[in-house]
Amino acid sequence: MIGPGPGPAGPPGEEAPRTASAAGEGPNPLRRALDRLVPSRFERVIALALVIAATLPLVAGVVLAARLVTENVSVWLAPRVVDRVQGIPLLYGELFQARKALYAEQARSVARLLPTDPARAQAYLAAAVEHTPRLRRITWFGADEARLAEAESRTPWDEGEYREWAAHVALAGGGRLDCIFAVEARFFAEVEEARTLGEQVRELDRLRAELPRSYGLAFGVLLVFWAAFAALLGIWLARRTTRRVTRLVGAVRQLAAGDLSVYVDPGRSQDEVADLTRAFNTMVRDVKEGRDRIVYLEKISGWQEVARRLAHEIKNPLTPIQLAFQQLEARWRQAPGDPDFGRLVDDAGQIVREEIATLQRLVEEFSGFAKLPEVRPEPADLGEFAEEFVKTSPQLLEVAEVEVVRTSPSSPTLLDRTLFRRVLANLCLNAIEAVRPARARLHLGVARARDRVVLTVADEGPGIERPLRERIFDPYFTTKGTGTGLGLAIVKKIVLQHGGEIQVGDRPGGGATFAVSLPLVERAGPEPRPGASH
Amino acid sequence: MSALARHLRLAALAALALAGAAPARAAAPLPVELSNVDGRLRVTADLGPAITPDALRELSNGLQNVLAIYVSVAPEGGGAPVAVYGRIVDVLWDVWEETFAVTIKDPRNPDGMHLVVPTQAGLRALLASGRDLDFGPVASLPPGPLVVQARVELNPVSREQLQRTREFIASAGPRAGGARSVLGAMASFLLREPPPDADVIILRSRSFVAAEVPR
Repeated sequence: MIGPGPGPAGPPGEEAPRTASAAGEGPNPLRRALDRLVPSRFERVIALALVIAATLPLVAGVVLAARLVTENVSVWLAPRVVDRVQGIPLLYGELFQARKALYAEQARSVARLLPTDPARAQAYLAAAVEHTPRLRRITWFGADEARLAEAESRTPWDEGEYREWAAHVALAGGGRLDCIFAVEARFFAEVEEARTLGEQVRELDRLRAELPRSYGLAFGVLLVFWAAFAALLGIWLARRTTRRVTRLVGAVRQLAAGDLSVYVDPGRSQDEVADLTRAFNTMVRDVKEGRDRIVYLEKISGWQEVARRLAHEIKNPLTPIQLAFQQLEARWRQAPGDPDFGRLVDDAGQIVREEIATLQRLVEEFSGFAKLPEVRPEPADLGEFAEEFVKTSPQLLEVAEVEVVRTSPSSPTLLDRTLFRRVLANLCLNAIEAVRPARARLHLGVARARDRVVLTVADEGPGIERPLRERIFDPYFTTKGTGTGLGLAIVKKIVLQHGGEIQVGDRPGGGATFAVSLPLVERAGPEPRPGASH
Repeated sequence: MSALARHLRLAALAALALAGAAPARAAAPLPVELSNVDGRLRVTADLGPAITPDALRELSNGLQNVLAIYVSVAPEGGGAPVAVYGRIVDVLWDVWEETFAVTIKDPRNPDGMHLVVPTQAGLRALLASGRDLDFGPVASLPPGPLVVQARVELNPVSREQLQRTREFIASAGPRAGGARSVLGAMASFLLREPPPDADVIILRSRSFVAAEVPR
């Protein structure tokens, strides 16, 4: 997205990259939201491609599936299968008939040999009930329905539950013989199940023309869902890319209109569009830094010209003034007169000399600022340079405790040692004055960061208020009662002339931190002189 | 809505659809006796020609069979039936008892009348009998020739049967054990009733006019 994001590294409080609106965005949020829902041409193309790729094989699959269902139905509901399945209950019916016939014959056999004497008949029936399969009970009824003899099987029935069936045999001498046989109950459960199955198959057979149609429709519905899913997926995938490209196009337009604060969030992606976005942001940052550098140096050049003229205009009358007053004092001493007038001359002489000294110091600083020499960088190690600076600055160690921390064994860059000593001296002096009259504790650090080497100068003073951070590098801006306000301006100019940057921020734990970053130069050689053109 | 009422409505629609169709299987006119009892049209129809040997054989197969009988009075030239009478007969040949268990549902017996019929001949006589069917006031009959039309269908696909088949399809599939497959569930949802069976037997009487109905 285009908007606030991790912009170019900058100190806290620095103006964040201004958000840039995507091209075509209107003021109406609802309209913008609706516009976003409408897929772009590229998104439509991607979605269409995915739909075609997803549905073409599926359409063929649907045709084949419908055919497969038809063939399966033909196989599993073949007339022979349907007839046989539906015929199962009748097979059980034949089984039952056969059983009944068998039981009736067995009953008749028992009746044929039934003794007429009830006492013997009892024993006979007891033997018969034990020897006749599935015969569970026999009762001999006389002509008057009197129970003449009865026997019941004592053999345990081990085939589960059973249903009774009675065979009634009329006896020649009157009366009848009732034979109760057992029929396995499982047969009835099986015939019930067979009946259910047969009815189900019959219903499927009645619906045989509908089954392929419904399965084909089901495939079709699934195909529609799948195609819709593929289309949405395609639009989503395409939109992920096109949105970023659209925002990039909008950002380029803003850049072309001169807005160098534009920033496009590359997101978490690692694809080419994200690389392009990052490259764009880097380019914008470089352009902005270059432009800022040029603007600042041009501004400094203007102030240098002012300083040169001021120094010239102030310096010229100072000498005649000083000489004239010295002559006045000499004449007075040769012929002293009124003692009151003599004290007046002494006091005036002291004031004039002090003010002339102040003006001369001011003129010297103006001249120094106006006549900053051209940078002549040479290969150097920034860490070694910082350590050397501290060692060779005894006056610094007299007023401050200084520690140097190097986080990298080497930090090669190009330096104009003379000018850069001035940079370090000014920064250290600035830090010392920040805590005056207390003794200052300075923390110098040198580190490598990607393609830069960074020198930090931190103090433990009150820090610099955020609103002032934009102005402290302006010439003649100072928050101190004394001073010309040229020190940090000179520092920044020298840093910029080295192709570097300087930023100010807070020090963790309190205090201010100035961070000077210079280009990392891995190998010494005929490198272009950074900032030489400025 | 009861099953019988639903069948009656379906029968009306079917009769309407079939009114213009030539009764290809109706070789002979449907024998009917018309009478005017207290101003109401009573029809006694002999549905015997519709109870074919094949139908009797199927009714004796040990499965639960359904015979749907719809008798309607309709204009001879076609059009919506004037009155419809419906009868749903469930027939099960009990292979153990060797008898027919019959349940008849009609406007006179909306909850069903249960009978046990021991023989095929008895069953045929029961099914063929359409005695004193009430078709409403004679005065409400439209002018012009009318016919009594009987539509007999064996084992039509009922809504309950369709639902059972849907359950069967939805439960079948790669995920056995009661779980439903998406395809099976969708196919079962999309399963529709089949078109009217071509084997439906339609019988039509000779035409008559309302004035001919004897008292």
